Amino acid sequence: MSHDGHHSVVIPAPGPEFVPHTVAHHFDTPVQEFQSLKLGFWLFLATEILLFGGLFAAYFYYHDLYPETFREGGRLLSWKLGALNTSVLLASSWTMAMGVRSAQTSQKKKTLIFCGLTVLGAAAFMVVKFFEYKSKHDHGLVIFTELFSGYDEAAKQLPWFKDYDGAMANVPHGHMFFAIYLTMTAIHGIHVLIGAGLILWIMKGTAKGRFHAGYYLPVDLVGLYWHLVDLIWIFLFPLLYLVP
Amino acid sequence: MAAHTHNDGHAHGHADHHGHGELQMGHHHVSSTAMFTNVLMVLLVLTIVTVAVSRFDFGGANMLIAMGIASVKASFVILFFMHLKWDTAINKITFLCSFVFLSLLFIFTLADQATRRLDHDIHVVKTKVDKQWVHPSTLSGK
Repeated sequence: MSHDGHHSVVIPAPGPEFVPHTVAHHFDTPVQEFQSLKLGFWLFLATEILLFGGLFAAYFYYHDLYPETFREGGRLLSWKLGALNTSVLLASSWTMAMGVRSAQTSQKKKTLIFCGLTVLGAAAFMVVKFFEYKSKHDHGLVIFTELFSGYDEAAKQLPWFKDYDGAMANVPHGHMFFAIYLTMTAIHGIHVLIGAGLILWIMKGTAKGRFHAGYYLPVDLVGLYWHLVDLIWIFLFPLLYLVP
Repeated sequence: MAAHTHNDGHAHGHADHHGHGELQMGHHHVSSTAMFTNVLMVLLVLTIVTVAVSRFDFGGANMLIAMGIASVKASFVILFFMHLKWDTAINKITFLCSFVFLSLLFIFTLADQATRRLDHDIHVVKTKVDKQWVHPSTLSGK
């Protein structure tokens, strides 16, 4: 009996390797709990779309103003590494979907394996991203150590954009492409790291037997988050690496 | 609800799942492995198509083509990987509404730009006059 006199609803564990789930006392039924939290999460994902949407609007605005700048900037990114990372994220979306499916069908070991593979995908993505960023840093296109330095009034230049090779010398406002490239990929990269952390948390709960056919909501929601990360990258790849 | 897999991964309502007892979460769709794999294959092929079409110059249509392919890929992710196809109406409306509002942001931003004719030649002039915006019609020769 809970404090308000109602019985707590408990979803039984499907086997000895799982633990039962107690529905939060402010929900009457498991269905109500599931649908409420899922609606809340979709609403959060909608705000994520709007967060990135603002950045995409900035991209389209400046792409329209300086199309040659964006095309020239896009040529300085490696489309092969971009395509590689696209494939890695797509594959990790598949492993995540399989992980959710394994939790839905109470297959503990498979859930752990598929979630583990997804974390490996996230790690691979960030390693590739690191080498891309390092290359931009070395060519003075995005000097990470100067990102927070103010505008250099004496030299009349941005401290983080020095373009050592003069690769952007023939197009106006070369820094605009790299400012947008960095902002969009860095915020996306933070989402990749948060997603990987959430999946590790899911693996911990899975190992304890918390998720099974009767209760897999957290696995489902983290899965949705991971697919959103993939969704954003699907648009970032052609816009940044293959600048149309 | 025991492991209840739908091999077709497609057409079925929720009706056949009710009555499994109320001690479940109420979300009942479990997709088949084959469906997920097929979706992954489609996404990888469309990635190759994205790279391939970027090699051709279709002028202004390149952007539309690239965004069109990306939108198809995104639809596959949303409908199948994110299961929105089988989700409740309220969840579909909630998520898809974000794209409606996003299109408002794009439409007004790009409409503003299109009517200002702020190409970078004018932008240079704009900078010269101490960052005051100049109406294009007041500029000689443009």
